Amino acid sequence: MQEQHWDVTYTEETAGTRLSFHCWPSSRLEATRCVAPIGALYTPLKKLPPTSSPPTALQYDPIRCSTATCHAVLNPYCQVDFRTKLWVCPFCLTRNHFPPHYAENISETNLPAELIPQFVSCEYELPSVPVAGPPAFVFCVDTCVHVEELTELADSIQQVLNLLPEDSLVGLITFGTNVQVHELGFEGLPKAYVIRGNKEYGPAKVGQLLGCAPPSPKQQSAGGPKGAPPPPGQMPHHQQTYEAPGSKVLKRFLLPVSECSLTLESILDDLRKDPWPVPSDKRVARCTGCALSVATSLLDLALPRRGARVMMFVGGPCTSGPGAIVSRLRSDDLRSHADLARNAEPLHKPACEFYASLAKRHTVGSGPGKGSSTAAAANASATSCHVVDVFACSLDQVGVLEMGELVEATGGLMVLGDSFGQSVFKESLRRVFQTFEEDIPEDGGKMQMAFGATLEVLTSREFKVSGAIGPVTSLGKKGPNVSDLEVGRGGTNAWSLGGIDPSTTIAVYFDITNPGTSPLPEGKRRFIQFLTRYQHANGRTRLRTTTLCGPWHNPPPGEDKKGAQPQHGMGGYGMEPPNPVKMSFDQEAAAVLLARVAVHRTETEDVADVLRWVDRSLIRLASKFADYVPDDPSSFRLSPEFSLFPQFIFHLRRSQFLQLFNSSPDEAAYYRCILCRENTTNSLVMIQPTLLSYSFNGPPQPALLDSQSVRPDTILLLDTFFHVVVFHGETCAAWREQRYHEQEEHVAFRNLLEAPQADAQMIMDNRFPVPRYIVCDQHKSEARFLMAKLNPSTTHNSEGGGGAQVFTDDVSLRVFMEHLMKLSVQS
Amino acid sequence: MFLVNWFYDTLASLGLYHKNAKILFLGLDNAGKTTLLHMLKENRVQAHVPTLHPNTDELIVGQLKLKTFDLGGHETARRLWQDYFTTVDGVVYLVDAIDRGRFPEAKKELDALLTSDELTDVPFLVLGNKIDMPSAASEEELKYALGLLDTYGKDTRPDKDSGVRPIEVYMCSVVRRMGYKDGFQWLSQFLS
Repeated sequence: MQEQHWDVTYTEETAGTRLSFHCWPSSRLEATRCVAPIGALYTPLKKLPPTSSPPTALQYDPIRCSTATCHAVLNPYCQVDFRTKLWVCPFCLTRNHFPPHYAENISETNLPAELIPQFVSCEYELPSVPVAGPPAFVFCVDTCVHVEELTELADSIQQVLNLLPEDSLVGLITFGTNVQVHELGFEGLPKAYVIRGNKEYGPAKVGQLLGCAPPSPKQQSAGGPKGAPPPPGQMPHHQQTYEAPGSKVLKRFLLPVSECSLTLESILDDLRKDPWPVPSDKRVARCTGCALSVATSLLDLALPRRGARVMMFVGGPCTSGPGAIVSRLRSDDLRSHADLARNAEPLHKPACEFYASLAKRHTVGSGPGKGSSTAAAANASATSCHVVDVFACSLDQVGVLEMGELVEATGGLMVLGDSFGQSVFKESLRRVFQTFEEDIPEDGGKMQMAFGATLEVLTSREFKVSGAIGPVTSLGKKGPNVSDLEVGRGGTNAWSLGGIDPSTTIAVYFDITNPGTSPLPEGKRRFIQFLTRYQHANGRTRLRTTTLCGPWHNPPPGEDKKGAQPQHGMGGYGMEPPNPVKMSFDQEAAAVLLARVAVHRTETEDVADVLRWVDRSLIRLASKFADYVPDDPSSFRLSPEFSLFPQFIFHLRRSQFLQLFNSSPDEAAYYRCILCRENTTNSLVMIQPTLLSYSFNGPPQPALLDSQSVRPDTILLLDTFFHVVVFHGETCAAWREQRYHEQEEHVAFRNLLEAPQADAQMIMDNRFPVPRYIVCDQHKSEARFLMAKLNPSTTHNSEGGGGAQVFTDDVSLRVFMEHLMKLSVQS
Repeated sequence: MFLVNWFYDTLASLGLYHKNAKILFLGLDNAGKTTLLHMLKENRVQAHVPTLHPNTDELIVGQLKLKTFDLGGHETARRLWQDYFTTVDGVVYLVDAIDRGRFPEAKKELDALLTSDELTDVPFLVLGNKIDMPSAASEEELKYALGLLDTYGKDTRPDKDSGVRPIEVYMCSVVRRMGYKDGFQWLSQFLS
């Protein structure tokens, strides 16, 4: 198992996982010296090729280890004795009997799917869990926005109705000064219940206000279609006596889209701006928080166990009722980073607590998994299937910072744009409902979104789980493999993820606890098992298991002194055997794991301290793994596995994740939230954007993210994940201005202009949220989207040099590297 | 300590010390608003992406509390400017002095601000930025283009009763740390 070179993309392709190190040091001390976090980036619902996972979900319950504290799922790394029909759990070494129907048929040549060696991931569709039914969608529409914005928004929602599976349920809530819950089951004329916007409402109260509370004979006249013929496919229900509030809600407020789309469309067509007068020195009264409490209550009442999304469309800050982030007085300003840093913002904390409480109401259920240390890996009742998404489109802040916790805790999606007319919003909204490709067996044509997910991590006993970073909430499950050393959301080995889609990626951090007093036996391997339980969009509950196996490395006896006296393989020290831990480093995964820790720390620490921690980590990592002669910076060399890591950190330090200037608290929260849910490749694009250069001299070339790459006669394509920028060098721009591309003899120039635009389109086609697309010319205003991201190797202070000048006093990568070398080689 | 002292010195020398004021940074996109704010705050030039959400910052030194709002300048973002007009003490309006093609647009937006009811008593400092570039317009040319031939006067003492609107043009280069200092000194006289 001691692979010398380990293909990082292979484990990602086949198991949806990237690890910072593939080969792990076998002692705690040595692991600490590796500096980079030991962890995994796991994409639970990644679509895997049929070669590494069964093509369709297995229609039976998994076989689990019988030990109460283990319950690992049978997997290809289990040792199987075909004669005695036993299997050995690689986590706890328990010998388990196969159940009779396995024992009868199993042999070396007849393996069940979960034992086929290449199937490290398996998905089970659990027949024991009742089918939940199709998902529901509650649209929450802010009516305090400009009329044009409201029209655009209504139009987008109408289009989305056509993308929904026919049987999915929909509901509509509009809000401004007050909250309106629209009764979609009432035909003829639009009817809505108005709820005052200055309070929070729980499920019982909402049921009462909507006339859905249990026994009250008078309610009959308030609800239900009066006189009008019952809508097609719906039972006439004048006979109801003791109907549960939930089923009343389902008849009146949450209906299958096939039944109510006409009613819903006409309500959306006639949406009016909030009618309440607004004095010029005041902001509009917008009760976003109250609307969210009503929406979530409605779902709790009607569909406590079924997958559902509350989709909040908001165009300004909440100013009234719970969750308000600013007063209505214009003389009071929206909170800034400075206000937040000195806790001078009276509304911020209460608002955060309010939104977090909505999330808790959602995730509590039977309490955080107490007493469930046996079986039932992921206790279904401990997590809610309701997701809250926020689509914030405004030129100013709307409170994404405060609502962020609710979105993250429920596994919701977040999109930040400046207008509901922008493709950033419109196209992103459509992509929420993306379906699997038709040719995929079983899941083809079904929506990719999934609900109520939980993740549990099992480990072999030499290491423990420190925590996870991403859209996760701890389930407080204190298994024997939970480390005291917390990273991110720790103190547990199971988390609630809420809503999840094929791109959701969780970072899990490990703590190697093996004391290392004696070396581990040769050939000893480490195992990790991820157990993800979730509700598929088809209403069925599934469990995906991924089992990973990797080698240990015992540090040679002399290596203990290394930390104190770096004597790395330069010159006379070249005899040292290659260190397999070092060779197995995945610098991309490590950079992303480190970035997530840094971003997580900004929640509680000052950004300046976080930056210092990042710097220190890089220096310690370089002095551990680089080759150099002590005190000689010129001898500093990094092996290929590490050579890009300092650059990633250089760009991370400069990124919007760790620089707050020119980024509002909302923007910072948004960018950080997206970084913590994307996979390794996308996260890396966010940290260090990619640049392609197009010229007449051949096909597009990857270019350095450096001011030297800017040339007058080339076109650059920059991808920062959030922005996709096509940048014309000044000569290209001038030619285009003179319309050369329209002339027959300059067809090559036309092709040159078109190529980056086509590639940009390809990038944007596969991304959520849809990036903002910018086409700009050198020296023009929007060129700053590119210039600000480049390594400033030529600035207005430097003389000569190629490329374009960046107006900055920031240090360049070269200066940064010089400092790194100097500090790393210090003895 | 160096930074703190620096703040103190810079702002004191800008004539803003001991004053409490709310200032808006306005102007078309790419005029240099964010770069100026960053310079005032950190004394460093930095390249920024175009501003999306308004940048609120506080420069606090001793008893001085300068609350600055740097608003995005691109066309759609300008709709937001009026939301920030209440209780403003001063406006710094930046113009890119090398982008002659956009002078008419800059004039149009400035005129809209000057005719706004909520800003009638507010002093305006107009900064013609980027004069480090050889192609930059001169003060005369910029004043002409913006229709500001007659201004308050750089040396005229402030007089509330005169009824004359405080507005003045200064040429500057933020990246070369030139010119804006005099402008702020002039503006500070009108901040009470």
